[in-house]
Amino acid sequence: MRRISREPSVVITLAILVGLMFAFIIYPQVQVVLVPGLGGYVSFLAEQTWVKPFFNSLQVMLLSTTTAVVLGFIYAYAMVYSKMPFKPFFRIIGVLPLLSPPFVVAASYILLFGPRGMISYYVFGQSPNILGLGGLWGVQTIAFFPFAYQLIADVLARSDARMEQAARNLGAGPWNVFRTITLPMARPGLLAAILTTAIYIVEDFGNPALIAGQFTVLPTQAYGLISGFGDVTGAAVVSTILLLLALALYVAKTRIEGQRSYVTISGRAGTIPRPPVPTVVNVFCFVACSLLAILILMVYGVLLVSAVVEVFPVKWGLTSKHFEFLTSNITPLQNTLVYGTIAAIICAMFAMLLGFLVQRREWRGKRIVDFIAIMPAAIPGIFFGIGYATAFNQRWLDWIDRGALITISMIFWNIPVGYQAAIAGLQQIDRSLDDAATSLGAGSLRAFRDILLPMLDGALLTGFVTAFVRAVTTLSVVIFLFTPSTTVATIKIFQLVNDFMWGGATAFTVSVVGVAVLVLVIVWTISGRRVGLQRTG
Amino acid sequence: MYLTLEHLTKKFPARGKQVGEVAAVDDISLNIEKGQFVTLLGPSGCGKTTTLRLIAGFEFPTSGHIILDGQRLEDVPPNRRDMAMVFQSYAIFPHLNVFENIAYGLKVKKIAAAEIKRRVDDVTKLTQLTGLEDRAPNQLSGGQQQRVALARALVVEPKVLLFDEPLSNLDAKLREEMRFEIRDLQKRLGITAIYVTHAQEEALVMSDLIAIIHQGKLAQLGTPEEIYEQPRSRFVADFIGLSDFLPARVESYDATTARVTVAGATLTVPTKLGLSRDQSILLHIRPYDIEFVGESAQDNVLPGVIKQATYLGNIVDYRVEIGQGLALRVQASTDQRRAAGERVRLHFPASKCHLIAEE
Ligand SMILES: Nc1ncnc2c1ncn2[C@@H]1O[C@H](COP(=O)(O)OP(=O)(O)OP(=O)(O)O)[C@@H](O)[C@H]1O
Ligand SMILES: [Mg+2]
Repeated sequence: MRRISREPSVVITLAILVGLMFAFIIYPQVQVVLVPGLGGYVSFLAEQTWVKPFFNSLQVMLLSTTTAVVLGFIYAYAMVYSKMPFKPFFRIIGVLPLLSPPFVVAASYILLFGPRGMISYYVFGQSPNILGLGGLWGVQTIAFFPFAYQLIADVLARSDARMEQAARNLGAGPWNVFRTITLPMARPGLLAAILTTAIYIVEDFGNPALIAGQFTVLPTQAYGLISGFGDVTGAAVVSTILLLLALALYVAKTRIEGQRSYVTISGRAGTIPRPPVPTVVNVFCFVACSLLAILILMVYGVLLVSAVVEVFPVKWGLTSKHFEFLTSNITPLQNTLVYGTIAAIICAMFAMLLGFLVQRREWRGKRIVDFIAIMPAAIPGIFFGIGYATAFNQRWLDWIDRGALITISMIFWNIPVGYQAAIAGLQQIDRSLDDAATSLGAGSLRAFRDILLPMLDGALLTGFVTAFVRAVTTLSVVIFLFTPSTTVATIKIFQLVNDFMWGGATAFTVSVVGVAVLVLVIVWTISGRRVGLQRTG
Repeated sequence: MYLTLEHLTKKFPARGKQVGEVAAVDDISLNIEKGQFVTLLGPSGCGKTTTLRLIAGFEFPTSGHIILDGQRLEDVPPNRRDMAMVFQSYAIFPHLNVFENIAYGLKVKKIAAAEIKRRVDDVTKLTQLTGLEDRAPNQLSGGQQQRVALARALVVEPKVLLFDEPLSNLDAKLREEMRFEIRDLQKRLGITAIYVTHAQEEALVMSDLIAIIHQGKLAQLGTPEEIYEQPRSRFVADFIGLSDFLPARVESYDATTARVTVAGATLTVPTKLGLSRDQSILLHIRPYDIEFVGESAQDNVLPGVIKQATYLGNIVDYRVEIGQGLALRVQASTDQRRAAGERVRLHFPASKCHLIAEE
């Protein structure tokens, strides 16, 4: 592979990229870990206030992951294997939750089942206390099963239909084939999907913040320590514990993925039809998916309805006042759009260039940089946010615009997304194409711009769309960074829900999801292709 | 010398289970004159592509030097080497049309649009691509794509033109046509060319010089005639054309000829090798150079028995045993067919025999 040392422009570019990664990925993380100091760790750990949240986190992670994965698996199986009708519809329903902040499920849940919930109070006349483990479990299940579904469907879709056909021809029944052929082959992929879902869940901040009540988990404890007591040390210790937990899961996941997976990655597997499944399975799949789809539609339907009626679920008169409220407080939405767009563009380009230098060139320290680029995928948002707050909330950095800082946090938190899309895209392109450009006189960066970039438009768009969606839906990363004038929509929603201003909150939620969908549709229209979202982790 | 390779070596970290390093290119030295067409020929995996990529600058040598026109190339990045490469996969830029593909190198060099137009026009004429300028690459046949790749490299007027098995994806007929076309263009334009292939005919037809590569080492360098008629090793002889090898022993020798014993008989063979008496040596001859002769002929003749005869259309391919478990391949015209079991006398024309100092 080519050395870069003979091309100063490449060396400089690389130095800039790596320098920025050290400044905005490594430095803030190291800050968090170092902030408490040894004494801080010892005394905080000795207080043992973290023990309960730690076990709470583990408990709800196990529960929510189990149910989310089971539902996600059923949905994925139905999408990949069954012949149920309305698959395109179910596919869209499955993507919708990825385009919205996960904590909207909690908001919707309160509107339906809370003390004044539509179903709990107005149908059954009950005023239950829904805060706590039970509610959180239910909410996270609904919020994260679509993620599990996406991950598992990827794995199942890659399994080789030819082998299944062959087994069926040898006389094995459909269930037998699935149990003895498909599952064993897909096992590493499935385990990795489960662990990824677990990481999402254990890092989740929004849902527990809204609905867990006294049931404190690590992310909410870290947040509470800072916002309630200004205890940065404690928050740093807690989020470091959370980081270790997430890293442990992440390392386990990479280990499993590193094992030889027998799932064929020919990319052709999908062209062969899968052997049919019995009618009863088709019916079951259809019923199960319909129920799940109804659930998801209910979650979003409630939000939508709440945004357009006077007071949900008491006064049902149609009104536009919540959206008028939104337009008179438009700054957060504007900020979301501006920061998200800028961050996503820079993130996708940055990651693409980095991917090029890693995948196509030879230099020392490449493996470390590769690792750093993937690292944020394993870092809990709350940890990342505290890192930025401790590292950059400093006097001498006051000249940095807060909006810029939020944008930067969005860029670097999403680097893995763009980076993985870039590497996947580059692997598809024959090396001789950029070599040809070089031998005709183009320098590395010129060849990258002229030849690779135009061919990588799909990967670039995937990186952009995914980074954008994640940027506009994140709460935990930015919650310690905003100022009144740089509030973003997710934070505004969070504040409004805490103030029980449901109309405004739901109007904002609907708008954020609307913006994400709109951007996706615009990208599809302009590029003329259906770019998907890059799976993270 | 125009282009010189000095002890060029490239080691890669071993892949898979092996440890250490593998030398893909092992101490290759080569001198190429301006305007020469040099072919690197060898079996798959011998290091041809790696050598070419070293010259192009895509790989960095582990040791050794490359010198072009008096300038050492170590510190010159590949895009400044004034070489253009034609790839096996053509590597046509899929998002650019034919004109843009060919013009790319000129655009990079910031040449004026009118000049670009003129030069692209010239080269499209030369490569018979006129009229296809607006086509997208996926609207071209394999042969046309090959021509675009060639035109794109020619148009920048490189000091050295590099080819990595450019014809291996074409069908046999087209391949033959393109051989002559490439060679013709190279001669007319006087470009220095290095051409990698594993097809011996291609090398024989096209080259001024052939460099046979074996396991990363230069096995022999010579004109097609030299390589074909005086292979210096069993490997080279075996790789180019069909060969018979006979273990022999030197009986006597002078400056230009040697008398050697083969299977009990004595043959006279021209040679320039430094020999010693009783030395074991290999006698090499092509199966179609061996002749069947009658009883009267005496010089350079060995008796044998036909074991097998295979009809190949234009010739018959015989396996002939010449005693002591020694078998030969002999190819002769179909005029006079011989059957298995027949006793024959084989004549080894002295001018066709040649000695290889091995074994
Ligand atoms: N990047 C690399 N890393 C490790 N080993 C390599 C690398 N590139 C080539 N090799 C090894 O070096 C040897 C020579 O490879 P090379 O591609 O030069 O052969 P070749 O003569 O062009 O073969 P072919 O006719 O098949 O194209 C092979 O054993 C190959 O496996
Ligand atoms: Mg090769």
